[in-house]
This record gives sequence, C-alpha cells and structure tokens, in this order.
Amino acid sequence: MSSNENIIGSLSGTAAAEPDWEAVYTEQMPRVYNFLRYRLGNESLAQELTSRTFEKAWCYRQRYRRDLAGFSTWLLRIARNVAVDHHRTRHDHAPLEAAADAPAEGTPEEEAIVRSNFERLSVLTAKMGERERELLALKYGAGATNRAIAEVTGLSESNVGTILHRAVQSLRDAW
Amino acid sequence: MNDEFMLKAWRTPAPQFARQLREQLHRLDAQHRPRAQPRRAVRLIAYAASVLLAVGLFAIPSVRAGAEAFLDLFRVVNFVAVPVEKKRLDVLQQGLDLPRLLGEQVQVLKAPGPPQAVATLDAAGALAGLHVRTPAWRPVGLEPGPIEVTGEQTYSVTGSSEQIQHVLDSLGIEDLSVPPGIDGRVSTIHVPPVVHVAYGDRDRHAMLLQARRPEATLPPGADLSQLAEIGLRVLGIDPSEAHRLAQSVDWRNSLLVPVPTYVANFHQVNVQGSNALMVESVRSNGRPVVGSQLVWSSGDAVYALFGNVHPEELYEMAQSMQ
Repeated sequence: MSSNENIIGSLSGTAAAEPDWEAVYTEQMPRVYNFLRYRLGNESLAQELTSRTFEKAWCYRQRYRRDLAGFSTWLLRIARNVAVDHHRTRHDHAPLEAAADAPAEGTPEEEAIVRSNFERLSVLTAKMGERERELLALKYGAGATNRAIAEVTGLSESNVGTILHRAVQSLRDAW
Repeated sequence: MNDEFMLKAWRTPAPQFARQLREQLHRLDAQHRPRAQPRRAVRLIAYAASVLLAVGLFAIPSVRAGAEAFLDLFRVVNFVAVPVEKKRLDVLQQGLDLPRLLGEQVQVLKAPGPPQAVATLDAAGALAGLHVRTPAWRPVGLEPGPIEVTGEQTYSVTGSSEQIQHVLDSLGIEDLSVPPGIDGRVSTIHVPPVVHVAYGDRDRHAMLLQARRPEATLPPGADLSQLAEIGLRVLGIDPSEAHRLAQSVDWRNSLLVPVPTYVANFHQVNVQGSNALMVESVRSNGRPVVGSQLVWSSGDAVYALFGNVHPEELYEMAQSMQ
C-alpha cells in the first residue's frame, strides 16, 4: 500500500472520518505545487494557485467521497480546474520572472541547477500544446500514473501514454 | 524511455510557503463560521413554514435544518410570502412547543436515507428521474463541486382538531373555528429524490437543489382556504388580511412561505418566465449581508438556489439555467 493509500485509508476508516489533514498536506502539497509549477512555468504563480487549490480542498473536505476518486486524483482535479480558471481570467505574465524570488530550498549551487533546469524546461514546454503541457505537468510535476492522468483528464490511458511518449521524445531531442 | 531530465526541475516547496499555507488553512475554518447566517435564515423560514402544516395541510417533521427542509415544503406553482415577526415565532416555538405538536401528527413512512454521491449530472438525473439543469453562468471562480442525491421521502399527516384548537386558544384567536371532519383524516406527502449540486471557491458557496414536484394527497373535501386562514392567523397576520389572502389564493398549487422579518426580507422576481421568491438575509440590526435564497418552479420540477454569493449573482445563475 502506498503512502497515498494510507491517507485514503485514514479517510475511509469510519463513515464520517476526518482526513488526517497533516498527512494529506505533507504528502500532496509538493505534488500539487510541482504540477502547477510545471504547468505554468512560474514559481510565484504556482504558489498562489497551490494555495487556492488547498483552500478549495479544505472547504470541500467534508464532501470528499472515496467512491468518486482517489484522494490525490480528486486533489489534482481541483488543481487542474484552478489552473484552467486562472487561464480564463489571468492577466498575462512573463513566465519565470518570479522564480528568482522564491526562497532557496537546497544549497545555492543545487538551487541554481534546479532553477536552470526549470527555466530550460519551461522554454521548451512553452512551445508545446496545452494538452501536452498539462500531461507533462501531471506526470512529472505531480508524479501521477498514466491511469491517474487518464482519470483526471478524461483521456484514455493508452492515449495518455502515446501523447506523453511523443512529448518527452520531442523534449529530449531539444534538451 | 529516458525521461530523467524531466525530473531535474522538480523542487521541494519552500518551507516558509508550506508553513504559511498550512496556517492559512487553519484560519479558514474561523473565517467560514459567518456562513451560518443564511442557513439560520433558511432554517427559521422552514420552521415558520411548518406552522401552517400544523393545521393539517401538509406536514413534515418541523425544524429540520437547512434548505432541504425548505425544499421539502414545495408542492407549488406559486409562492405566497408572508412576513412573520420574531415575537410570534418565539411564541410558537417556545410557548406552544409547536415542534413537539407537529411531531405528534407526522409519521415518516419512507425516510430519505443518507445522500448518495454521484459522479455526473446524468447519473444524478437518472436517480432523481428528471433532467438536471445547471447554471450556464457562474460568478468567476465559483466552481462546481460534488453532486449528491437524497432519496425519496414519504410522510403521513393525521389531522387533529384538538391540536388546532389548542393552538388557536393559546394564541387568543377566538373568531375562527376548526373545520369539521378533520380528526383522523390522513394526508400523505411524497417528496421525490432531490439533486444537490454544490458550487464554491475559497470564500463563497452556493447550492442548487432540484427535484420533481412533490405530491400531496389530501382528504376529499378539505377546505383549504379555511385551513389557510387559520395558518395565516397563527403566523400573526392581521385578521382582515388573512381572510382576504385565504380567499384569493389557490392553495392547491401555492406554497405559503413565512419569512422571519428580523433575519430576512423578500421580493418576487421572474426566473425564465416563472414566478420566483428571492429571500435575502439581513442582520438583526437591519444591515444587509450577502446571503440569499431563490426558490421557483418550472415545468414539473422545483428549484432552490442559495448561498453566500450576492443576490444579483444568484439571480443571474438562476436565469442562466439550462
């Protein structure tokens, strides 16, 4: 059983059980944050929309039903809707400008490497279609399986695999 | 497939951000407590509406909280809103213990059971036996949330002239008498499954309820206008106005909605050609707050839309239903 399933287990242990929110938060927040980061190519915006996603999930947490979706899938659906909603109403911004404002996590050297890779990847993915970018963000930002991505996006699992394969191949050639 | 390069940009969220967001989530609970205000208004309206049911029309267990109870009372084409003062409600609730009196007359034949979560509107419609309609327009950021369906409900109400006379006597109403032939007569109320569609963002929420129109089977020969007049007087309406209203309204397709004036005000609006009742919550000092309920019927279905969004936004949502 994965740690994610442990969290869900704690959700469904009793009929009206409250999620172990601290466990949910610790497990899922980095995944949601990196999904949005990969998806949007902007650090501060990813933080803002991660906040929005968790606030929505927090408000709806009593309404989560295990029979509707796995918890991480449910959370990613919310994050995806938040991102779509942002695109609907956004003011255009320059990607990556805010990245330098985010506090460093590792050593300055490690942070510089991550930032450089992120900038490079963002430039490359910016040339791709919305669907490819979303699938890449779900796969590599959120760490979702192809099956989970299929559940979130409504695409078939094989279609997800095909699109991702082509997208990664294209990015690797350009890397 | 070599995709390791894709993971080189992954990073752990900044600790400060993680901490601030965690704190923000804990603050949210406190911020959401004011939402109780519109729900309280709905609860009181539902309670006040149940006063009429006490006189043998259509009863359900009184003081059931929330908009479901409000919707439970539908069997309507039209709405007749009546302002009710706090003083009168206090008398009915505390002095007469009307909830207990009502409870004695009502029997639950079929309870709705817990709400059932469904994944799609089509699935909800299949369970509820209706085409589920939703707003094409929503305030920016107000996203659809979970969908649930509550099961059908059936109640029986047994008439009791003694109970009605007791209420009239307690309120000093001496110029009205209980119509004959009420004792032991049973009315049944069938409420079809109700579809709940939630909408929300971080600060706001709305709930859309819809169901096929509930049906009530009344004893033959029931004098509804006479019973309605008793109900209006019980609510504190002036005798001449109660008589006029009782005679002018078709009570077989109208729902009397008592609105406690100290928590809400109301006005009639038109939703896609149908008469609708908008009830807006107010604070006890009269200062308006954002919180409203809109109820209407269309075709064979009844609708209730409520939440803490601005009343005009709620109205726009209703107008865009498709």
